[in-house]
Amino acid sequence: MPGPLASFILYFGTAFELAFLVCSIRRRSFFRYFFLNLYILLVLASSFGRHFFLSRYGLGSDEYRYAYFYTDALLTLALYMALISLYSNVFGELQFGKYVRLTAVLLLLGTALFSYGVVAQSTERLSTTFAYELSQNLYFVGLVLTYLLWGAVVKLRESRTRLVQFVLALGIYFSAYAASYALVNLASKYSIVNSLGPVFSCLLPLSWTYTMWRHSEDARLVPARLVAVPR
Amino acid sequence: MSGKLTALVLALGILVCSMGLKTALSSNHSSGTVLTANGPDPMPLPPPKR
Repeated sequence: MPGPLASFILYFGTAFELAFLVCSIRRRSFFRYFFLNLYILLVLASSFGRHFFLSRYGLGSDEYRYAYFYTDALLTLALYMALISLYSNVFGELQFGKYVRLTAVLLLLGTALFSYGVVAQSTERLSTTFAYELSQNLYFVGLVLTYLLWGAVVKLRESRTRLVQFVLALGIYFSAYAASYALVNLASKYSIVNSLGPVFSCLLPLSWTYTMWRHSEDARLVPARLVAVPR
Repeated sequence: MSGKLTALVLALGILVCSMGLKTALSSNHSSGTVLTANGPDPMPLPPPKR
């Protein structure tokens, strides 16, 4: 069974996810940011599924391991779709929607092929290895895509506060993931570094909830002010 | 350059950048690192490689 720190993260994370859904519905923005809500809904559903396997079979069991990594691959795909939906929001007025979708599909196919190429040599448990290889590769693709999207937000002078803050929250989330990935490589002997992923996954719905609750859809800001300090 | 070709080049460029970043961060431990960040559930150990 998980320790007190893992339980603490689990309960707070679930509370933040529920809070985001409630805020989204109350502010009548569920369908406007449908893919963000879908991602959080899937996280909640997978949390219940994982909890079932965790309580029934334990943390070290194969059942929990497979449930965890397969749902993780599914959730990463959902997060990728959420990110592409933010792209569609930003580029929606420029008639680039078709090319954004085409690039997203090609990129997803390319990542899947690359992941398959990496794990193809391992004949044992290919599907599980593929699930977490694909998931991790998509995290890094998401990181690069988020930075590109932030560049587009600044260049196009996007001013919708919610959209800007959703993108910034994703940027911090993916950057923190990349940093903790490097930290796991450098200090894998410390078990605390393995808790960093779940901690960051709590902070993402928290920041989205704050954005949804604090700002209305009509709120505007100038992102150029976030980048350049006036002298 | 047509729009479709641009999309293909862009997708390949992003893929190369992403995998390059992953390799750079993996340093010399590229074979065994598994870290996930979807959901607050405790992460199990990955399946052993044979």
